[in-house]
Amino acid sequence: MAFNYDEYLRTDKMPTLWCWGCGDGVILKSVIRAIDKLGWNMDDVCVVSGIGCSGRFSSYIDCNTVHTTHGRTVAYATGIKLANPDKHVIVVAGDGDGLAIGGNHTIHGCRRNIDLNFILINNFIYGLTNSQTSPTTPQGMWTVTAQYGNVDPTFDACKLAEGAGATFIARETVNDPRKLEKMFVEGFKHKGFSFFDVFSNCHINLGRKNKMGEAVQNLEWIDSITVSKKKWEKLSEEEKAGKFPTGILKQEEKPEYCELYDKVIEAAQNKTKVQL
Amino acid sequence: MGLMKAPENTPVWVNVDRCKACDICVDVCPAGVLAMVPSDKTILGATISVQVPEACIGCNDCELHCPDFAIYVADRKEYKFAKLTEQAKERAEAIRKNHYMVLSA
Repeated sequence: MAFNYDEYLRTDKMPTLWCWGCGDGVILKSVIRAIDKLGWNMDDVCVVSGIGCSGRFSSYIDCNTVHTTHGRTVAYATGIKLANPDKHVIVVAGDGDGLAIGGNHTIHGCRRNIDLNFILINNFIYGLTNSQTSPTTPQGMWTVTAQYGNVDPTFDACKLAEGAGATFIARETVNDPRKLEKMFVEGFKHKGFSFFDVFSNCHINLGRKNKMGEAVQNLEWIDSITVSKKKWEKLSEEEKAGKFPTGILKQEEKPEYCELYDKVIEAAQNKTKVQL
Repeated sequence: MGLMKAPENTPVWVNVDRCKACDICVDVCPAGVLAMVPSDKTILGATISVQVPEACIGCNDCELHCPDFAIYVADRKEYKFAKLTEQAKERAEAIRKNHYMVLSA
């Protein structure tokens, strides 16, 4: 016996349109394994994706899927979740989709603590449109819009989510699919906004132009900029520069938005004020 | 749910129609089981092949790291996998140094 991914895929759309070695495929695989582990019925799962390489995510997974407009994934997903509070909604966005054009929707999704699973596929570049600087591009890297090196400070997406009020925040890389699967299982179970910052490789548009080689070398580079949360806590401030902690960074319980909204419905039916 | 039947007496098998020759599986294999072979079907001119199936230790790393759903590894309960030997480690290193291509016999 072996795990049969094809049961969860639209096999007529295979092979995927992603480049060779793209981390998006590993993330798709880990999401499928996590869904299988939780025993969710695919009819109860909705995957919402935006524009970018990550947008193809919804084309390959065989469940209810919505391929939405650029950056508006959380807005669509909020509507879907409020209309179907008992279903599971997984949002997939890239670093450009979720932090640049859709940054406003991301922060308000976090603030409301609505029960969405937000997967940010962070590949440090705008891959689909051929290497423009994204909010997470490391300083000093060459991109087509920063041909003498990028000077913009790098965005730490997990800190944004924490500041905005998400109740489950985790970071993992495509280098370790087992940990990735475990993180998804924990996050999918969590009631509230789950924010996953997944570091992925784009050796075609980031690696090649920065002389980082092919997929394997790019994965090694990702490995070099991440440290586990346990090790991170022991590092000095200087050692922390340019590195990111991985693991479950925050988990807490707070009132969930769909439950709060039920109180609004109750108040409207009774013609009273909402009781918090 | 989510299980498929394994071919008989096979520890690891591949779907070459899906392989794009990214080399990741060959890099993660600790036992030198997998290697790329020349092919005219992919853009990169190579495709995956199982070279030494009897050396597979069943670590599952190649399956988990493959972004294109092209590799499958049998269940530990059904197949008795080999132990990792020094010879297998050396072969894996030699394949990596050979740009992930198959070592000529």
